[in-house]
Amino acid sequence: MKLYCLSGHPTLPCNVLKFKSTTIMLDCGLDTTAALYFLPLPLVHSPRLSKLPGWVSKDGAINLEKELKECSGRVFVDSQPEFCLPEKELLDLSTIDVILISNYHCMMALPYITEHTGFTGTVYATEPTLQIGRLLMEELVTFMERVPKAQAATCWKNKEIQRLLPGPLKDAVDVWSWRKCYSVQEVNSALSKVQLVGYSQKVELFGAVQVTPLSSGYSLGSSNWIIQSHYEKVSYVSGSSLLTTHPQPMEQSSLKNSDVLILTGLTQIPTANPDGMLGEFCSNLSMTIRAGGNVLVPCYSSGVIYDLLECLYQFMDSANLGSTPFYFISPVANSSLEFSQIFAEWLCQNKQSKVYLPEPPFPHAELIQTNKLKHYPSIHGDFSSEFRQPCVVFTGHPSLRFGDVVHFMELWGKSSLNTIIFTEPDFSYLDALAPYQPLAMKCVYCPIDTRLNFHQVSKLLKDIQPLHVVCPEPYTQPPPAQPHRSDLMLELQPPPMSYRRCSVLGLPFRRRYERIHLLPELARSLVPSEIKAGVSVATVSAVLQSKDNKHVLQPVPKPAPVPPSKKRKRVMEEPPEVLNPKPLLSGAVPLEPFLATLHKNGITEVKVEETADGHILHLQTEDVLIQLEEDATHIICDNNEPLRTALRDLVLRFLQKL
Amino acid sequence: MDSDCLSLLPAVCLVLADPKQSPPDDTSLEKLLDWFKELHIQSNGQVLLQHQPCLLEFISSVCTSKTTDPAIISFTLKFTGLLAATKQGFNLLEEGDLLLCAFEREACYVCDLWEDASVRSGWLQGLLNMLKHQNALDFICGNGLIKVVLQLQNDRSLFVASLANQLLVHILNFLTSLNMTNGSDAVGSSVSSLRSDWVSVSSEIMNAVVEALRSEDHPRVLLGLRLLSLVLSQCGEPIRSTLWKDVLVPLEVLINRGSESLTQTLMTVLQAAVRTSLLGQSEYKVEELLEAMLGDGNRKGVFSFSLSLSFSPEISKRKATGIILLPLQCVSTQPQTEVETNLVLNEQLSQKALCISLLMQSLSSLAELAHTKYLFEDISIHSITSSVVLLLRMCSGHYPSSLLHINASIHLIGCCKVQRCGLDTLGALSFYEENVDLRKDIFDVLLDFLQSPDSHATVLKKTFQATVRWIAVCSPFPDLLQFISHDLFPVLEKRMWDLRWEVRDSTLEFITQLTAALNGNSGFTEALHTSGMVSVLLSSLADTEGYVRASAVAAVGEAVTASFHQATLERNSNLLEKALTQMMIVLSQDTEVFPRRAVVKAFTSWLKGSHPLTALDSSLSSVLSLGGNDFDWEVKMHTLELAEVLMEKTLTCCPYMQNVDFSEKTCLTQALSRLKDFGLFDLLFNSLFDCDRPVCEKACALLVRLRTLTAETADLDHSALVLNVCGNRWGDEVQRRYLKKQQAKASVCATDGATGSDERTDSELHCIKDISLPTILQILDLNDMQRMLMLSSDHVVNSPQSLMEDILSAAQQSEENIVDCY
Repeated sequence: MKLYCLSGHPTLPCNVLKFKSTTIMLDCGLDTTAALYFLPLPLVHSPRLSKLPGWVSKDGAINLEKELKECSGRVFVDSQPEFCLPEKELLDLSTIDVILISNYHCMMALPYITEHTGFTGTVYATEPTLQIGRLLMEELVTFMERVPKAQAATCWKNKEIQRLLPGPLKDAVDVWSWRKCYSVQEVNSALSKVQLVGYSQKVELFGAVQVTPLSSGYSLGSSNWIIQSHYEKVSYVSGSSLLTTHPQPMEQSSLKNSDVLILTGLTQIPTANPDGMLGEFCSNLSMTIRAGGNVLVPCYSSGVIYDLLECLYQFMDSANLGSTPFYFISPVANSSLEFSQIFAEWLCQNKQSKVYLPEPPFPHAELIQTNKLKHYPSIHGDFSSEFRQPCVVFTGHPSLRFGDVVHFMELWGKSSLNTIIFTEPDFSYLDALAPYQPLAMKCVYCPIDTRLNFHQVSKLLKDIQPLHVVCPEPYTQPPPAQPHRSDLMLELQPPPMSYRRCSVLGLPFRRRYERIHLLPELARSLVPSEIKAGVSVATVSAVLQSKDNKHVLQPVPKPAPVPPSKKRKRVMEEPPEVLNPKPLLSGAVPLEPFLATLHKNGITEVKVEETADGHILHLQTEDVLIQLEEDATHIICDNNEPLRTALRDLVLRFLQKL
Repeated sequence: MDSDCLSLLPAVCLVLADPKQSPPDDTSLEKLLDWFKELHIQSNGQVLLQHQPCLLEFISSVCTSKTTDPAIISFTLKFTGLLAATKQGFNLLEEGDLLLCAFEREACYVCDLWEDASVRSGWLQGLLNMLKHQNALDFICGNGLIKVVLQLQNDRSLFVASLANQLLVHILNFLTSLNMTNGSDAVGSSVSSLRSDWVSVSSEIMNAVVEALRSEDHPRVLLGLRLLSLVLSQCGEPIRSTLWKDVLVPLEVLINRGSESLTQTLMTVLQAAVRTSLLGQSEYKVEELLEAMLGDGNRKGVFSFSLSLSFSPEISKRKATGIILLPLQCVSTQPQTEVETNLVLNEQLSQKALCISLLMQSLSSLAELAHTKYLFEDISIHSITSSVVLLLRMCSGHYPSSLLHINASIHLIGCCKVQRCGLDTLGALSFYEENVDLRKDIFDVLLDFLQSPDSHATVLKKTFQATVRWIAVCSPFPDLLQFISHDLFPVLEKRMWDLRWEVRDSTLEFITQLTAALNGNSGFTEALHTSGMVSVLLSSLADTEGYVRASAVAAVGEAVTASFHQATLERNSNLLEKALTQMMIVLSQDTEVFPRRAVVKAFTSWLKGSHPLTALDSSLSSVLSLGGNDFDWEVKMHTLELAEVLMEKTLTCCPYMQNVDFSEKTCLTQALSRLKDFGLFDLLFNSLFDCDRPVCEKACALLVRLRTLTAETADLDHSALVLNVCGNRWGDEVQRRYLKKQQAKASVCATDGATGSDERTDSELHCIKDISLPTILQILDLNDMQRMLMLSSDHVVNSPQSLMEDILSAAQQSEENIVDCY
């Protein structure tokens, strides 16, 4: 059993598990942090961004004026943003049988994997994962296609040149695997390969293994997966949460008794407690609004935003900010808000029960009804005429490199009354803000990451007791910034196996058993004999048939009476000759009775020598050695076959025949 | 004694002695006993017994009956003891052989009743009640009851065992006190000076203690130790020293054995010994035992012991302090050879639960020492304070560069318990002036807690408390204002929009305290007003949570008070105006009581202030009328307090008290009519007839004061103080009483023969609308009202008479009750 690690990112995993005869890809996350090296894509013409000076090395030897621009003291790539793909060279992606998706954030690289690689398999995901994943992909595509860039910058990626570039571009890794965004057609084609599954549904893969998604509590439809055969069980835990937010709670008990647990998707900000951050978010928002400023919340169009809106729904009234408008701007804003209301069965119990009242599960429906929350596909169109300040704007993309957020950064960045509140933990907020410096607007970092923290995960592992744990390398050491925090790492016994990008791990357990079925007529023919109380054995002579990873023992076909007429029958087709097998022996040869028997048969001079495994009997007159061991008996007798046979028969007297 | 009660007594005795009746509940019996106790104190037992032969009959019938309920037996034993507490009572009971019948050893065992713990406890309590004179002691000693008491020391019921201990101590004490008539409380006076039969009693008890301490049986040792510590703390000489001499050897053995389960009890014994005159004398070895007990601080449980050594000799105290500080130092200082040797402590600190509890003990002990401003000798207060600061930093995940206890520090991250305890201690350390040098570090760590999004609401509360203390101490330093306006105010502003109402509430409370603590500091007031905090406070008046609104009212009130000192009047008057408007809205419209109470309190504190506020005058009458008509009795009480202050302020402004002349008389009239304009009299009279007793009581007291004042000033201008008595509740009452009085007067006149005026008065009364204030005060029988109001509201139901009636009626109706139930 092997694990191929195609991504080193702990929360955007992409691993391939070879288990029995199947090749299973676990998630295909897309690392979008590479976009931070690129210039923002402004929706509205920005004089500032369009007049940036190109970069030329100090000695003038390298001139990349067209590709690289200097902005706020840093150098950015002026091209359509690119993303870091999972490793494609580690194994042949066309051999992948299935892809299991755990949540909509971990499927963004799907088109890169399923298209143009010869992939012919199936993708398994839950319905919300598929639908919201589609929204996020479409949003990404729209963001990119709305602001087309004619050129693609590649010269800077040249190793010799990159080496000479200023940081952080100089230190960017795997730049050749970066790719620009996919197209809508690729999205559609990729998603057409998805087969929907429900929680706890058992899916057979070629009869060899069974995969089952379990609720993971992190987002709508998010799942952990169990991959098991009759005798082995691998659990894949990715992006799980034990907090009470909108999704169904995490199912833990089914993860018990795993041979291997692959653990990914823990919280990215282990020191930030989501409740505390939510409080920070609200109080900062309230302070800004009260002072007459606007609040910008760069966020994904699904996920934490639902909880934020719910929290604000209660908070705004209590803080007397009831009249402040919220704007949610995204090409998929409408669908996201609506979808969240229709996936009732995937929600937490509390929200599910609302459906029967009947009430919409999320209170943002009421915010929309009362006109407190308005959503627009883009800043163009209706929004510009209805826009009222001070307000709160939720919009993407959290990297601040593309999407409507770029416009708001340009619009509000100059006033210290305004505040930008970062809630998504995926990007370093300082890097995200880099091309907008100097910035007058206040900046607050409240990353809300509801995924498991180290404390929760160690409790979980204590509870479910997997034999081995496999996890990304960063989880096995304290965060680099806080080397003393040994509480912010996994400390397990035995220590977890860690992986990084391009690792290939041989998983530490050997398959020892396989289930084989006996056909009834064969079973009927068996003659069991009891060798000790409760244990019977029988010999079986049968033909083993293996088909679709199922193994069946069938009776040996009787040799067909050979019709005399077909003499020219090919030898190959003849049934194998069945010999009557020699009976199997069992039992032990007890020393004293055996010596007595020898004595009775006239062999009196026996010298007994004790060895590590048993005894050696030296029949001195006959010059014969009999070695009695636990699992073997040897009679060493030179050129005296009658004596050997006689001795053998004496030994056999003590053994049972099956 | 109330004759009604006495007439009921025989019947009650019959009911209680009747074995067929189920006994009244325990509370009734206890109440009855209390009443007898009171009677007993008031009169003496003989009188009661002599006049109430039924009592003797009751005792005799209960003691001889074998089917009486244990509760009744227990009651009777206690009661008999109570009656026998006087010599006369004792003799009377003795004559009837009732004492022996009740308390005699054999009598106790006759039936299974002794199995009931309440009987045993009643028996002991009876003896304890009785033990007030020599005869009682002779009775106990003579009948060999000591043995029974000593046995009961081991009783399975904790109450009985503890009562037995108390009785033994009482007996020992009693022996000494009898002896003391001719001796003095000096160590060394010996037991042998006691009467010989009593010597045997005392030595019997003391031997029992020594035997217990020598025993291998753990519970017995514990009992012995408990009795020992009781004797040490409650008995005088010579018992104390004699017993100590006897137990010294087994006690030393126990201490040196170091059994952990005995540590706590041994410590109690030593603590008791430390407080006696045994301490100074070398032959009693108290110091030695203390030293042995403290050991090297490695024994579990010595930490709490160390704390209570405030009476101990200096040396032990220093050692104890050292032990208290050990866990703290161990976690938060550099490795030291001395600390490193303390293996037990190190091991304890690496276990999470133990680590936290040790640190909490260490911190809270330190806080208590700091409250007494204890002088640390071996270690500087700076280093202690720095340790606490460092510990608090570790709690929020900061790591010093080198640490002895990485494990301990991981246990501490985010641990609310240690955080709260540490913050309390840090606050207490502000008592040491020398710590102000560390104020930067201290304010840094406090600010960290205030800023951290993960700080629990209770931790924030403690942080606020500590911050107020430190700010009060550091107020003379100019850098404080910088800290407040640049660091503290922005954090506070954010906290006022916290999601948790508890946090918003404690933030507002903190601002109130801060403003009060820095009252008169013009720099602070300036900062408070320029930072925009005041407008945030004003908007908090509309918070969704009632408690928060109440705190906001208090904070705004304090901010307004602070602004009185400020010269910039224009802005302040603006603030006052805004505050007044909003507060009146709260008082008239808020649905919860806390904000309304707070508003009235704010007005009271404004009025109390030394700065006269003319702006208040316009609102005062509305406050008095709204507050007086509130549904909440506490709002009404606060309004009356406001009225009291208003009265004081208005009436003392005229110096009529010194020497009354014409102008001052006018002044009083003016002052009273000013109060009338405020509607104060309406409030007082309304409240006088309120449904809540405390409100009436308060109003009555104020009116009595007014009456005295008006009575003292003879020729007050009544015409200026005329009140309209029509159309309100109190007016009707006044009218009714006025009428009654006039009629009484008239009838007196009639008997005197002056009938002619009768008709005129009647007709006058029906149309009377205006009565002057002094007249009203005279009409109302305020003294009588005050007397009635001072009786507690349950004085009728609480009387012994009603208790006995209850017992009787319960006995009569018991059968019906059973039927009723189904």
